[in-house]
Amino acid sequence: MTTQQPPRLEMRRVVKTFGPVVALDSVDLVVARNEVHGLLGGNGAGKTTLMNVLYGLYRPNSGEVLLDGEPVTVGSPRDAIDAGVGMVHQTFLQVDNYTVTENIVLGTDVSGALRLDLDEARKRIRELSTRFGLSVDPDAVVEDLPVGVRQRVEILKALYRGARLLILDEPTTNLTPQEVDDLFGSMRAMVDDGMSVVLITHKIRETLGVCDRMTVMRDGRSVETIERSDTDADHLADVMVGGTTGPGELIDAAALGAVDAEEVEVTVSSVRDAVGVSVQGLVVNNDQGHELVPGFDLEIREGEIVGIAGVAGNGQVELAEALAGVRAVRAGSVEVGGRSMCGRPASAWLDHGVAYVPEDRHRDGILPTASITENLVLGSQRSPGVRRHGLLDWGAAKQRAVEAIEQFSIRANGPATPAGDLSGGNIQRVILARAFARRPRMLILHNPTRGLDLGSTRFVYDQVRVATDAGCAILLLSEDLDEVIAMSDRVIALFKGSRAGEWQKGTVDAYEVGRSMTGLGEARV
Amino acid sequence: MSETISPAPSAAPPDAEPSNRVVEALWLLVPYVVSVVLAFVVGGLIILALGQDPVAAFESVLTTSFNTRFGTVETLHKWVPILLCAYAFAIPLATGKFNIGSEGQLLVGATGGVALGILWSDLPMVILLPCVLVAGALAGALWAGIAAFLMVKFNVNEILSTVVLNFISFQVIDYVASQVWPDRGAGHPATTPVGDGALLPGIGDTPPFHSGVLLTLVLVVVIAVFMRRTATGFEMRAVGANLRAAQVHGIKTSRLAGAGLVVGGAVAGLAGSIEVAGVHGKMLEGMQSNFLILGIIVGLMARGSMLALPVVAFGIAVLEVGAGSMQRTAQVPVEMVLIIEALILLFLLLSDIVRTKLRGR
Ligand SMILES: Nc1ncnc2c1ncn2[C@@H]1O[C@H](COP(=O)(O)OP(=O)(O)OP(=O)(O)O)[C@@H](O)[C@H]1O
Ligand SMILES: [Mg+2]
Repeated sequence: MTTQQPPRLEMRRVVKTFGPVVALDSVDLVVARNEVHGLLGGNGAGKTTLMNVLYGLYRPNSGEVLLDGEPVTVGSPRDAIDAGVGMVHQTFLQVDNYTVTENIVLGTDVSGALRLDLDEARKRIRELSTRFGLSVDPDAVVEDLPVGVRQRVEILKALYRGARLLILDEPTTNLTPQEVDDLFGSMRAMVDDGMSVVLITHKIRETLGVCDRMTVMRDGRSVETIERSDTDADHLADVMVGGTTGPGELIDAAALGAVDAEEVEVTVSSVRDAVGVSVQGLVVNNDQGHELVPGFDLEIREGEIVGIAGVAGNGQVELAEALAGVRAVRAGSVEVGGRSMCGRPASAWLDHGVAYVPEDRHRDGILPTASITENLVLGSQRSPGVRRHGLLDWGAAKQRAVEAIEQFSIRANGPATPAGDLSGGNIQRVILARAFARRPRMLILHNPTRGLDLGSTRFVYDQVRVATDAGCAILLLSEDLDEVIAMSDRVIALFKGSRAGEWQKGTVDAYEVGRSMTGLGEARV
Repeated sequence: MSETISPAPSAAPPDAEPSNRVVEALWLLVPYVVSVVLAFVVGGLIILALGQDPVAAFESVLTTSFNTRFGTVETLHKWVPILLCAYAFAIPLATGKFNIGSEGQLLVGATGGVALGILWSDLPMVILLPCVLVAGALAGALWAGIAAFLMVKFNVNEILSTVVLNFISFQVIDYVASQVWPDRGAGHPATTPVGDGALLPGIGDTPPFHSGVLLTLVLVVVIAVFMRRTATGFEMRAVGANLRAAQVHGIKTSRLAGAGLVVGGAVAGLAGSIEVAGVHGKMLEGMQSNFLILGIIVGLMARGSMLALPVVAFGIAVLEVGAGSMQRTAQVPVEMVLIIEALILLFLLLSDIVRTKLRGR
């Protein structure tokens, strides 16, 4: 860092409250020029809120913001953009049937008010995209693009508007490992070009891989700022995961990417002989009627964890939904605990003990305007446990919600808080609390720890172990290879909806799994 | 960075402190008060511009309901259909569906009620009156059921179908009042009166209010309990909050949305038979008054709270009853009151934006 020049961004004593909730309690943050600055911290620590303040989405109660030494007041995203701040959220605001260029130009002042001069724009987008290695086709229609490319569009949008400071809120959660590498390459190119980047992430690898410095937040405060050179994987893993003594903890550490998964010896297994789930010849279509799962066989024994490794979009969603009873199957049979389930309504699957933690938590997982209590009841509103004299017993439900908040450390202002007000990771905790509370016979976990901080990720793994000890059959679909390999008794690589390889615990070679996932491996069925 | 080891930061205490509760309640109430005051200010300015005296006008609008027993009874009698039509709008809205057909459902309900009241006019009250009321509710449910069926089976937009059904219902009552049981002497399309056993007994001395008011009070409690405490009510709210998530969690969403419409239609149909049995003693053209639009206004003002509905509906009933006397005493046209109601709603919706800005969300 150069000492004469003022830092790119300085936030001083920023306070932000939501009613009684203190989300930011006098936060300081300094981001230098030409640096990738990591913003770390537990779920609900205030990372997103701090960045939303910077981007003008929330108005702070007090505090100062300085950009390049100049005090600025940011009242709206418009002001933020004018001041050179760009932000990429986890959910993109894009017009689906517009082209990339149109989406990027949308909302900027295009000269020649009457006619859009898109040629000029297209040229600039091309230029930006080569300069920063963000390859996109400016004429592609956005709805046809995969998430990774749509994210690039979003970044280009910020660059096109002249951002000097780019904020990325958990940008890697939807990306393939290759896309993550590309993104990090682009971030490097940006800081080399004079920009600064703020990166929010929960992953050790990513933090170490790309950040120059990192600030850790806790309970709405910034607690410390660490130089990349003062820390390494062991150190970070140590502070993040704690001492790796017990076998369970070692597996956790592997799943978190802190140690190499293959080096962990098999020590814990609760697999029983009885078959928990049996799937035969499963054919499933996606919403557009394309056959994404062309015939899948699977057997999960009680207490067994079967991990499905795959690049997003290879039929995971369809497979998970079909096995959860949420999506109709074209052909095939599914037996859970010896009972044939196909053709039964979703409620019958739930009643039979099938619990599902969907990937898209906002769309499939919660009622945003309903309270935490109500969200925890969702799905079991007809079971005798939550009713008294035929009516829902909200008093008891609230009591259980209080316990779940305690047990799952959900950071919320009481059980009456609307689920939509929670931070991303805390929403996931509500969904997990609901699934585990059912004491399921079969549990389908789709990217269960995405967006969770390390503490809660470990807690989820503990809960998974409790469930398998009780005989629950678990299907773990995850794009996080470390997690799949470390947690599963058996790993199946999924490619185009079919099994592209299968490994027993202890024989897994991460490289081979990776090749199979991308269709390069030899099938070993 | 060691915070991540211990399972995350502590949650706030489960119950917010009382002072916070008061603050939250204020955030809810203040917009109503401000909106009403602003609406009256703007309305007053319009009355001034018309060259009339706003103070006199508002005095009669706001006091008629309370000054005379007649005004009070009139207000309660208006409150019933306004509130029931508001439920007819708000219950389907909880599942995300718009019932714009409460007037049609009310009229068809009235037809059902009046038919039994005339056909079985000799039956004693203990039998006939319940039959009339139930017939009204069933007829309304059936009428809304057409829209629900089209929506669930063929995905026909419920806004369109309920509106179209309103127009059909006008033809139905016209036919019934002028062909089936016409009262030729009425000088206005109307049926002959129902039997005495079909009339809701009055309560209190002259003028009495009809016992449908009590029935409505009971219904207020039943609906509140239904929405809040039954699994079906919860599922309806879940569907309204997030259709996809409700589906994923085993709720049969389209069937529920249809059920919401049918229940709404039943309530509006009941309003129709209560109007027959309590107010008119027969069915007549125009008895739907402006209850459709008032019901929608009330439903929107209550913003999804089943508990707020009766209170808001009462406020609107007061304004409606005051409108007539305002015209008599201050020469301000009755439509002024509708303008004020619309303004209240407008300011209330605006207040959401202001409130968001103020709280900086
Ligand atoms: N709109 C809102 N209304 C009420 N409370 C909110 C709102 N937005 C955030 N909060 C609260 O502020 C706190 C910080 O939330 P924030 O989203 O900034 O966390 P985060 O650090 O991004 O967490 P995560 O890693 O889970 O995304 C949380 O306790 C959250 O419940
Ligand atoms: Mg966040």
